[in-house]
Amino acid sequence: MKRTILVMLLATVALFGFAETLVIKGSNTIFPVTQLWIEEMKDMYPDLTITLEGAGSSTGIAALFNETTDIANSSRWLKDSEITKMYQEGKYFIPIVLGYDGIAVIVNPDLGINEISLEELANIYTGKITRWNQLNPNLPNQRIVVYSRNSASGTYETFVEKVLEGERMAPTVQMLESTQAEIESIARNKYAIGYTGVGYVTDDVKVLSVNGIQPTKLNILNSVYPISRPLYMFIDATKGYPQTGPVKQYLTFGLSKRGQELVEQAGYIASYGF
Amino acid sequence: MNKRDLKNLINQTIITIVALIGIFALIGLFAFIIIEALPALTEVGAEIFGSLYWYPTYDPPEYGMLAMILGSFILTGIASLIVIPMGYIVAFFLYDYAKPTEQKLIKSAIDLLSGIPSVIIGSFLFIYLSPMIMKIGAWSSGNLLLAAIGLSILSLPYAASLMQESLSAVDTSLKESSLAMGASRFTTGFRIVSKAALPGILNAIILTVNRIIGETIVVLMVAGGAAIIPRSLFDPVRPLTAAIASEMGEVPIGSLHYSALFAAGLILLVISFILTLLSRRITRSWNR
Repeated sequence: MKRTILVMLLATVALFGFAETLVIKGSNTIFPVTQLWIEEMKDMYPDLTITLEGAGSSTGIAALFNETTDIANSSRWLKDSEITKMYQEGKYFIPIVLGYDGIAVIVNPDLGINEISLEELANIYTGKITRWNQLNPNLPNQRIVVYSRNSASGTYETFVEKVLEGERMAPTVQMLESTQAEIESIARNKYAIGYTGVGYVTDDVKVLSVNGIQPTKLNILNSVYPISRPLYMFIDATKGYPQTGPVKQYLTFGLSKRGQELVEQAGYIASYGF
Repeated sequence: MNKRDLKNLINQTIITIVALIGIFALIGLFAFIIIEALPALTEVGAEIFGSLYWYPTYDPPEYGMLAMILGSFILTGIASLIVIPMGYIVAFFLYDYAKPTEQKLIKSAIDLLSGIPSVIIGSFLFIYLSPMIMKIGAWSSGNLLLAAIGLSILSLPYAASLMQESLSAVDTSLKESSLAMGASRFTTGFRIVSKAALPGILNAIILTVNRIIGETIVVLMVAGGAAIIPRSLFDPVRPLTAAIASEMGEVPIGSLHYSALFAAGLILLVISFILTLLSRRITRSWNR
């Protein structure tokens, strides 16, 4: 399978002469940022072809190992197993922080609640608390409808790590395949709760402060807000940091003033130029 | 070798090639799914069918699909309970009571209904029907009842037209003799003709069930997506198809999680295969 893809890639390269190509794979969270970057870079470097595939952080890092991508977008740090593998294979990947993502906890605006603690949130997601009035007697005696992104998404992984500290989510949590579906479902159901990247929050839902902290720009940038994470680009620097070529051009643009503006445009917090 | 023979040869070759492509595609599909599912089947094994807990990304991971398998079955069962009687009633009306104009109207309505993309049906349910079901007591906007209704809408045209075909295939003389003996129209249709058409109707039921169990997009949109065994009509479910569709896009290719999703696909494929075989047997015994 992978070999055929490689052969096809080589064939296309052979067909189109030796136009420079850049392959980017990885996190769906970073996907919109990369998309904006690529659009702008098309005008700057007309003979550079960039292919982008959003497939999840793990896929991106796996692709970096088998050299089917130049840049792996990842919304999480390397796992121990990946670091061991890197060491075994004599490879060296370097992280570049392109921005920050805060995960906002969202509820329906009609529910009279403004804040939640990390512990309460964990209890809701592990199924220890199932009704709103268990959280606060003033809230209605109604079942909490808990939504989550599906277990393959990077947002889910971060949420599990930061909020549940590795504990299992209850099976009653409803897994949705997209952030869009999550926001729509919560906007429609008065007793629902969910989480999503701050960039996706719309006016149809209400953002809760977690441990009394709102997911504002500065709070996320300083990692004061408890459910936030840096977004990384991993590149293979086994042969040294790229001095020239498409990878270098891409990184230079991404970390430029304009590139960082686009990070904000995609709904995240720019990591440079605050 | 005259012109006619040559023409014949060319046509034959084309037909053979197309048929072979079809057969190879089928074998290839089976082989592909089995190969991709093997790692999960060998490494995880019985846990797939024995455990209720689907935690593929945890450390250690758990790949229990029992809740999803049962969810698939329960959902299919409920949808079938709705759609099979409805399909039969529609077919019966078309066969016996409908005037030619009515027949044309209902027929074209059914054909149109079967042409609606499932995404549209899913959106419609989510936007219009979901709030209504919430009003009558559902606590979750996606639930078993909503998914069953969606699947019924989707498969009704299919069930009705298949059943109508099997009713129409019954010899008219049987109907006429029954009427001549003084049986009422309803008795004739319901007792005599339907009995004669029973194998065809059974076949239609099996094919409909087969279709329902494989439906993906509607259940992904409106079933809720919690991998629990539903205890009421208002509980969310997560059928196998929804899990595959939801997770396949983001799973690392070649991982055990990826393989487990293929194992889920294999389960569905095997169910579908058994149902198809069953339908073939019924048809064969009927033809005899």
